[in-house]
Formats: sequence, structure tokens, C-alpha cells
Amino acid sequence: MTVEIPVEKWPGQVREITLGATADEGGTRSHTVTVGGETTLPFLHFEGEIPHPPVVGIEIASRRPDDWSPLLLETWSDVVDDPAAWAKAAEEAGADILLLTLSLEDSVDDATSAVRQVLEACDLPLIVFGPGQADKDNELIVPVAEEGAGERLVLGVCEEKNYRTIVAAALAHDHLVNSRTPMDVNLAKQLIILIHDMGLPLEQILMDPTTGALGYGIEYGYSVMERLRLAALQGDSMTQQPMLVTPGEEAWKAKEAKVGDDVPAEWGDWGERAINWETLTATSLIQSGADLVVLRHPETVQRVQKTIDALMAEAGEPELVAA
Amino acid sequence: MRFEPTDKAVEVRAGSLIGEAAHEAGIDLNMPCGGQGRCGRCAVIIEDGTVRRRSSLRLSDEDIAKGYALACQTVIEGDAVVMVPPQEKIERRLTTDKTAAEVTVPFDYDPLRDQPLRAVYLEIEPPSLADQTDDWSRLQRALRREHNIDGVETDLPMLRRLGSILREADWRVTAVLEMDAYHRPDGPPRLVDVVPGNRTERLYGVAIDIGTTSNVVYLVDLLSGRVEVQRVDYNAQIARGEDVISRIIYAGKNDGLGELQSLVLKTLSKLLERVAKRARIETTDIYKATVSGNSTMLHLFLAVPPESIRLTPYITTVNQSPAVMAGELGLDINPNATVDCLPGVASYVGADITAGVVSSGMADTEKLTLFMDIGTNGETVLGTRDWLIACACSAGPAFEGAGVEHGMRATLGAIEEVWIHSDTFEPTYRVIGEREPKGICGSGLLSLLAELFVTGILDKSGDLQLDLDTPRIREGEHGDEYVVVWADETDTGGLASKHDIVITEVDIDNLLRAKAAIYAGYTVLAESVGVDPALVEQVLIGGAFGQYINIEKAIQIGLLPDMPWEQFHFLGNTSVRGSYMALLSRNVRQQISEAAGRMTYLELSADNTFYDQFTSALFLPHTDIAQFPSVEEILTNGRTETTEREKVCAA
Repeated sequence: MTVEIPVEKWPGQVREITLGATADEGGTRSHTVTVGGETTLPFLHFEGEIPHPPVVGIEIASRRPDDWSPLLLETWSDVVDDPAAWAKAAEEAGADILLLTLSLEDSVDDATSAVRQVLEACDLPLIVFGPGQADKDNELIVPVAEEGAGERLVLGVCEEKNYRTIVAAALAHDHLVNSRTPMDVNLAKQLIILIHDMGLPLEQILMDPTTGALGYGIEYGYSVMERLRLAALQGDSMTQQPMLVTPGEEAWKAKEAKVGDDVPAEWGDWGERAINWETLTATSLIQSGADLVVLRHPETVQRVQKTIDALMAEAGEPELVAA
Repeated sequence: MRFEPTDKAVEVRAGSLIGEAAHEAGIDLNMPCGGQGRCGRCAVIIEDGTVRRRSSLRLSDEDIAKGYALACQTVIEGDAVVMVPPQEKIERRLTTDKTAAEVTVPFDYDPLRDQPLRAVYLEIEPPSLADQTDDWSRLQRALRREHNIDGVETDLPMLRRLGSILREADWRVTAVLEMDAYHRPDGPPRLVDVVPGNRTERLYGVAIDIGTTSNVVYLVDLLSGRVEVQRVDYNAQIARGEDVISRIIYAGKNDGLGELQSLVLKTLSKLLERVAKRARIETTDIYKATVSGNSTMLHLFLAVPPESIRLTPYITTVNQSPAVMAGELGLDINPNATVDCLPGVASYVGADITAGVVSSGMADTEKLTLFMDIGTNGETVLGTRDWLIACACSAGPAFEGAGVEHGMRATLGAIEEVWIHSDTFEPTYRVIGEREPKGICGSGLLSLLAELFVTGILDKSGDLQLDLDTPRIREGEHGDEYVVVWADETDTGGLASKHDIVITEVDIDNLLRAKAAIYAGYTVLAESVGVDPALVEQVLIGGAFGQYINIEKAIQIGLLPDMPWEQFHFLGNTSVRGSYMALLSRNVRQQISEAAGRMTYLELSADNTFYDQFTSALFLPHTDIAQFPSVEEILTNGRTETTEREKVCAA
């Protein structure tokens, strides 16, 4: 008996977007990273094309992030005080891209010099996020855009209440932006439209639908991402942006990852638990269609990449088809 | 190129616009929209010559046949003579399509067949020592003998008056009878009144609509079926809350319910006295009242506590209330007259909607019809003669001018339409009563919102663009705002206290929420029955506000679905019309009950797709622009090229 696997022919495709620029393209990266292009749901190789595997980024900071878990600070050890050294370490830890988060305490000079040092220290395409306060983000991201001109950085974070300045900076210096909305299909779409209306090509917009960590609303984020991807494949142009999410930041906010003391003994080893938390958050989101996941712990990067490799391995004929 | 009536001639190159030629000739044509073909204010008449209309968005086919063309959109292709009509004439021409439907007798009315009320003249044989029959039996006997009416019933108050009336009238009287009523379709006949002499040449009833904002009374001659007098006034309950929710809350307070009932009765009394006076009758000559209104209004009218309407799961005490006597209720007509409240369907789909569905013809059409009552409660009905489904979404009172900084009702001094120049961002507006403006009414707000959007002052998420070069966009007390009228051009108070008329960010949010709720309600309704919204064949728009809406602008902001304009029909107050028809005919009364029974109610708060649709509609015109192709075209091209209507006009 033959079991036939139903194959869906989707009319839509996720947009292909390239991060970073090589010397030929006006930048200084040794290679670029392209995401998107899927014509099927995640990892359904028998159904459509998945031309690029999901990409793993590592988050680093412009100055020592004292609010991070001590586990992370211990693991990265000395490099957390030096963005250049941290960038190099992250590249060695297996990152495909880097996310540099600026600090509220950064001056414009601090920010531009951090970006410059990171670009010089490593070869990876770079994402730069402001500290997350509208005025400060705008103050720092505009000069960063100028400093990184030609590098096709991803600038962020664009949110409904604050996107114009960042988008204008991206337009002026040919960068990309990250469009972040709070876990809602329509809102995600609306911000893409607004950013695109300013004149930024869709090939320069990443979609960040936001998510929650495992145990903290991941189901909600997962289903929003799944719906966005279904809409993209059904041909809804404004949802066809590759999705970038930050499970590292989310997972390390969860009590299970953050806290080592005064927790039940059954929770087991703190370090192992924290890495598991981040890994499971990230791999779940990859299953829901994430194209870029940004992580914090180097061990997680290894595990998530292993999962991606396994999922990307062409299985040949699905095993279910038997004579 | 010659202009009449001033007889100015200029030479221009072929391919110039009439507007450009006029400017050259020193003729001042109004172009409040900035020459975008949107406002229709620069209409001229082509008397002779060859022109090509690039766009005629504002002109009907009939206008074009008469030679009308928009100066800003019409290209001169050869010698031409153009008539520039006086501005007032254009104003009038543009407003003609907005007049309310005239009240006509809705069907071939035959009182004997349709009307349960009857007035009959009786010459009763007086009693004598030989004929000892009592008065009541004597009257019954006369009815039976002279009019073949049997089994008439009466009540104690009537009997108490009967003896003296009969004797004073010398046994010649007119009996007013209610042969049957909706709640007792097979009779028996009820004696409503006995009056001296022959008064059969007149018989009156009233149709009443109790709106949250306005109350309407039609005085109807039940013999001819004609509406003799109609009057409207604001519901005095407004002083105790603008919308139904605040009235329900007020009703829950210490004797709030009694106060609200007496306020509406007072309003109705005033209206009833006015219609009676006009028709030279007494209010006691009115023998029947049919009442429609939303469920809350009818609860308050009957002083039935409305509390549970507001609280989940949103249940009324009664959707179809029994008939009551006017005297018992305190309604200022004949105390023995029946007051018949029409049936509703649910807390937020009341008798006003069932009455509207029947009076608009929706309940009797094979066409897939969408009925919308655009008001605070945003009721929407979808269906045909075979099925009906309804929902209501709390759109809020924004489109009625309430809850908006400088909003007002559509009365004298209200800005009712706005155009904005797309280069200078300067507005032009029309004010009801052609005077200095006091505020902006619902249609003005709608029109303002659409103009702000198509001129780029608002982005798609409804944010004002502060970086545009105009002093009219500024940061105000309540966030960003756009100044529609500078203080010194307004009628907003004494010289010292005049203020600018503005629309604020908060107002815009309220309006967006209102339009999103109405559109989302409609979308969910269509989805819930698996009907493709594109298949809707006609859209009937009711509600007092409905008759003033500019369809084009309502589509631009995504309030109404993007359909050809001829599919929209504005019906004005369909609720009072339904009440009027039910007053005339027991058949219509029956149809309204049947429509209420046939109507499925979809409670949106129990529908998990509503919020999603609402968020999607909370964008200009909509997150899914594919649902608004005509708006997408305007945004892309700056104006609509109506090639279909593009005709060469050579007079």
C-alpha cells in the first residue's frame, strides 16, 4: 500500500533578503548572509524550496551588560567589557551574524566606535539595536547608520511609535531595518506597510513579530508566526518578510534561566536548565518559521545549529512512502 | 478659449487644463481640493468645442450629458466656450443627492383590509319603559345590527363614562373599535372610545421612533394612510448620558429609571402636542401608537430595568413586549389606545433594526443585501428574504459628533463637509446654515478624516504628520492636532473666548475605532455565513446619520466596503418608517415579527475573529488594501481616472 503525502502548492514565497555587504558591494564583510526564499512551511522539503537555512545570531553589547545573568557573564568572561573581543569570540562560537545592542549610557561616540570596532574585529554581517528608548535609539542609530554606510546593517528597533527616524537613516545609508510589533498578525503587517510607505524597499525590512520564552507565552508567539508564514505563502505580500526573533533575550528573562538560588531541587542544574530553556525557545520558533534567531549563550548556539543541520538534511523520499 | 458669462477669451495650447486657462483669463475658480478632481467645486459647463475629461469622479452621467466638466481635470483639445456657473448653483447641485426620502404611503392602502382600527357611526334606539336593555348591551346591539360587529369587549373606565356620553350625544355616537391587534389576531373587537356625533371622517394614529439621540413622531391619517405631520426633537434623556450604556448605568441609580422614562415621555408629549395642534385635533383623538427603537430605549420607555443589557451575556428583559394601554404608560394620546412596541432580536439589535429591515424592503428581496445602521451601536444585517443574520458593534458616538473635542450634532453651525488642498493643506468647508462654524458634525468628521488621509496629512495608521509645512498641524493640549478653523473665523463663543476648531489625535483614534468596529462587524458577519462580501448586491444605509454620508469618503477611510457607488442606497430613518408601515397594516406588523424571528443574532463578543478583524480594520483604509482597490488607485495615482466615463463632449 502506498501512502501519498499531500503536497500543497503555495502561491506565495518568503522574500529573500541579504544582510551585510562584501568589499565588492561597498562593505567590508567577508561574506553576506541571505535568508528567506521559502516556498513551503518550515522544513517540508518534500513540498517546496527552503533555499536558506535559518540563521543563528549572537547578541553582544557595547558595554558590559550588568543586567544579564551571571551565567552568561561568566561564560563570556572578560570579553564582555570589550565589544571587539566579544565579536571575535562570538564569531568563533559559531554565529552566522551578530547583534550589537547599544546601551543607554552610550554617547554617540561610544556607539559609533563600538560599531566600528565590531566591524573591524569580525567578518559577520551586523545588526545594531538601540537601547530601546525611542529618543535614545534615534540619537544613536542615526550616527551608527552613517558610520556603517555601505555595510547593509540591520538597524533597530522600529516600532509603531518610533520608526521614522530609523527608517530615514536606513534609507539614507542603504541599510535594513527590523520591524517589531507586539505579537499580532495585523500589527506586524501594518508596520511593514508604514515602513514601506516611507520608501524603504521590502528587500530591506525584516519582520520581528516578537515572542515570549518557553512557558511565558511562546504558544502565542508561535501561532502568530505560523499565521504570518501561512499568509505569506498564501500570497499576502506584506507578510512575506523573513522573520527575526530574539529568543536569547526572552529566555534569559525567564525565572527558570535567570535564577539559581531558592528554586526547587527538582529543577536540576542551573546552567543546564538555562541553556535548555534558551535552546527549546529557539528551536520551537525555528519550527514556526523564524529565519533568524538571536541567542546569548555559546552552548545554545551549538545545540540550535545542530538542530538546524538535522532539520535541513534532505531526507530524500519521506519514509512514510512505502511499497 | 472663451469664458461665459464674463466673455473673457484667452489663447492656450491644446492639452492645457480648463483650470489653467481660467487662471490665465483672470477667472477665479474655486479649487478647494487643490485641483485633484476630488471636490467637484470647479464644475463648469462646456457650451461648445472639444474637451477631454481626464476624470469626472464628482459628476454623474447625467451631469456629463448636460455638459458639466471639472475645470481641474478637463483638457482643452481645440477652441471651446465654457460657462462658469455661479458658486451657489454648484453648491446646490452637489447637495441634491443627499435629501431624505419623502414619506409616501408605502403600499396600496385599504383601511378596511389593512387597518385593525375602525370608527363607526351609530344611531342607537334610546331606551324606554318598554325596552329595558342596559346601555352597554344597547350599544353592542347597535354594532351588531348596523355594522355586523359582534362580541365587542370593553373595560370599566369606558363603562363609567358610557351612560353620560350616550345621553349627552342623544344616542348618536361614533364608536372607535380595535377589531384585532397583533397580540390577539382573532379579536374580539375592543371598544376604544365613544364620541358624540358622527366623527367617522377622521381616525388618527402615531408612529414613533425613540432614538438614542432623536425622537420622531409621525401623525398618520388612518383612513388615507398619509402622514399628516411629522416632527422630530432631541431625546431629553441626552442630558443623562449620550449613549445607551451611560443611560443604562443612570437607570440603575436611585430612581434613575423613572426619571429617564419621564424624560422620554416628556419629549414625546411635546411632539404629540405639536403634531396634534398642527392637524387641529386633540391628542386624545389619537387612538393607536406603534413604537420602534433600540432595545435599551424601549426598556426605558416602558420603565423595564435595562441593567442586564449591559452585562455579559447581554440579555434583555423582553424583546417583544406585550401591548400596553397609553393611559397605563402615561403616553399622551387617548388613554385607552394600544401602544404597540415592535419586536427586537437581542440587546443590541432592537426593534429599530427589525423595523428597518422590513421597511427597507430587505426582508422581501432576493438580492443579497447588507443593511447598516451607522450610529453608536453600528447594527449590521446581512441576508435576503430567506435568511437574515445581524450583529452590533459598539462603534461609539464619534460619528454622531459625540466624544470628539469639537464634535456636535448636525445642526446650524456644524461643519458638514471638508475639502483639503493637497499642496497647501488649507481646508475649505461647508457649514449647515451657511454661517460661521461652531463645531464639526458626524458627516463633517468623516469627510475631514478622509481628506486628511488622501492628502497625506494622516498616514495609514492615523498619525498626523508633524513635519509637513503648515501651521495647521501642531502639538496641542491633547496631543497632535489639525486646525480646521482658526478662532477668529468661528462662532465658538464671545470675542474673547473664541477658540480654534481642531481635530485631535484622540478624536482621530475614536473615529478610527468607530469605523473599524463597523467594518469589522460587517466582515465577521459575512464570514460567519461563508458569504463572499463581493457578492453583496446592494447596501442599504439607515439611521439618521446615514442620509448625510458621502459614500466616496466613507470608502476612502474604510468605513463602507469598496463597491460601485450605485449599489449604496441611503434610506434615512428606516426605523420610523417601519413603525409607520406597521401602524397602517397588520400584515406589515406580522412581517416585522417574522423578520425578528428569522434573524439570527451573532454576538461579536463571543466571536474570536472579531478582534482580529477589528485590528485589521484599524488602519487606513484597511490592513488588507486588496479589499479597497479604488482607494489603492487614488493613493497610487493621486486621482481616479474614470476612463469608463471619459467621453468627448462636443455640444
